[in-house]
Amino acid sequence: MRIDDERDLHGQLEAAFEAITPRPAPVDRAVRRGRAIRVRRRVAVAAGAAAVVAIGVLAVPSLLHRSAAAGPVAPAGGNTVTVQAPGPHSAPGLIASGTIDGRRWQLTAAKPGTGAAGPGEQIFTTSGPAFEGRGGPQPWPALVVNGAYSVPFRGVLVIGPVQVMFGAVPADVTYIAVRLGNGAVLTLHPAAVYGVRAVAFAVPVGAGIVDAAAYSQQGEIAAAIPFNESDGIAYFGLSLTPGQHGLARASGRIGSGTANGTAWSVTAYLGPWGICYQTNAVGTPAVFCPPTPSDLDSGGLWGYTERSPSLSVAGGHAPASAAWVIVSQPNGTTTKIWPVTVGGQKLFAFQQQTGPNPPRWTAYDSSGHVVRWPAG
Amino acid sequence: MQPLAGIWWSAWLEGWAVNAKLDGEFREFMHARWPFMVRLAYGLTGDQGHAEDVAQAAFARAYASWPRVSRAGDPDAYVRQIVVNENRNRFRKHRVTERLTDAPPEAAAADAVRRCDDRSVLIGALQRLGPRQRAVIVLRYWMDLTEHQTAASLNCSVGTVKSQAARALATLRQDTELVDEGFQ
Repeated sequence: MRIDDERDLHGQLEAAFEAITPRPAPVDRAVRRGRAIRVRRRVAVAAGAAAVVAIGVLAVPSLLHRSAAAGPVAPAGGNTVTVQAPGPHSAPGLIASGTIDGRRWQLTAAKPGTGAAGPGEQIFTTSGPAFEGRGGPQPWPALVVNGAYSVPFRGVLVIGPVQVMFGAVPADVTYIAVRLGNGAVLTLHPAAVYGVRAVAFAVPVGAGIVDAAAYSQQGEIAAAIPFNESDGIAYFGLSLTPGQHGLARASGRIGSGTANGTAWSVTAYLGPWGICYQTNAVGTPAVFCPPTPSDLDSGGLWGYTERSPSLSVAGGHAPASAAWVIVSQPNGTTTKIWPVTVGGQKLFAFQQQTGPNPPRWTAYDSSGHVVRWPAG
Repeated sequence: MQPLAGIWWSAWLEGWAVNAKLDGEFREFMHARWPFMVRLAYGLTGDQGHAEDVAQAAFARAYASWPRVSRAGDPDAYVRQIVVNENRNRFRKHRVTERLTDAPPEAAAADAVRRCDDRSVLIGALQRLGPRQRAVIVLRYWMDLTEHQTAASLNCSVGTVKSQAARALATLRQDTELVDEGFQ
């Protein structure tokens, strides 16, 4: 076969796909899921109808006395986005709700440790027509306040055309202002959710989040500039205190290889968000941005795992004087890696082997002496 | 006179369940087209487990709108489009699962399936393409969709389809494993 012969390519693809023998069609399961989707749609329709009735009853006084609790209206590009904190009679666990072009969304947290949550996880449920029927429960690391960062959006869910961001804020934060690409600002007021104060907002993918700033009663505490990936999804990394500057913008590939026939590579993007690692392997790239300076200073390892094809990539951040890094793999073998300098930072990535132990790494200078981070 | 709200609710309840005829029609359709949709999803995902998940989700969505889908007369095209969309959404959902850890999660057990014949080498080469290039190859060269149909299915321009197809074919021609297997 020659690949440049398109008819042959069709034949080869046909043969390759014909070799796939699917399991019997799970018709009953698809029907059950389909019915559940219908129910959700109809509930949404019913809720919408109820809202219309309620608006009909309340419209005149509401227009005359605009509620102070109403969320800000922010046009994001061609979209109009609102966000609103829960009221006193809202359902438990509601973090925030709002609309995108008039279509409602809401984010609710379940009590930590309940439902299908794993250790340290919490179930977050997205719902509303804004998600075009794709919302639903999803486990995510539980809401935890980390005083090191006041702009807290560690939770990132991308559901269809919508990006939802959420997190828990320290006690001194009174509100967070999120600025979008067109200059519009969303103001987020923390809601009490199972012992923490949490905020959330949802915007269309590609809204171009410019920055977010956390305010106390005394003024701005911290601000964060997200890494906006080329396809429009934003990721927050470091929170910067007033007067503090992030890293200068730079990018570079810090590792690549092939595992089980799958090519992988990791590109680091440096900037005011800190360091974001983009792993390219199967499908759309995965992005991870460590949230605190201490994560950077300790060279905290990050990991990426793809189940099929089996692939696990990990990486870290070595001290500036490191010439090489020895990684103790989970299976007991060792791997020598030469960190790549990107924007003055020594970064590395490696294919993680399968084994019972967590990987460890040690950095060495050019003389072969162990190099430690100043803090560690 | 029946109150307006009563009419609305009774119409709503009437449409609550797909009637038995339509239900049977859907089941027959899914039985017949399941292998094809799994293969399409396999071409897009490169993994049979994911492919079956994607195909099942697509059929579930089709069932949810089956009266309308059935009336439109081309349920195959409808489900095919949902497979493409579901695959795209799957990656979007998947991609946000990264988290910082001192102990990166243990890798899954090694894939027991060895890529040892021509077919799996070709599938492997497909997997090494980017998702959009892979989708273009599958839709254009396996399903024989026109450039316009492919562009509509992927929600992109015809020019993008052309350029992605050209790049994908160039990448396949240079794929070392395909070369090793004598594909070129």
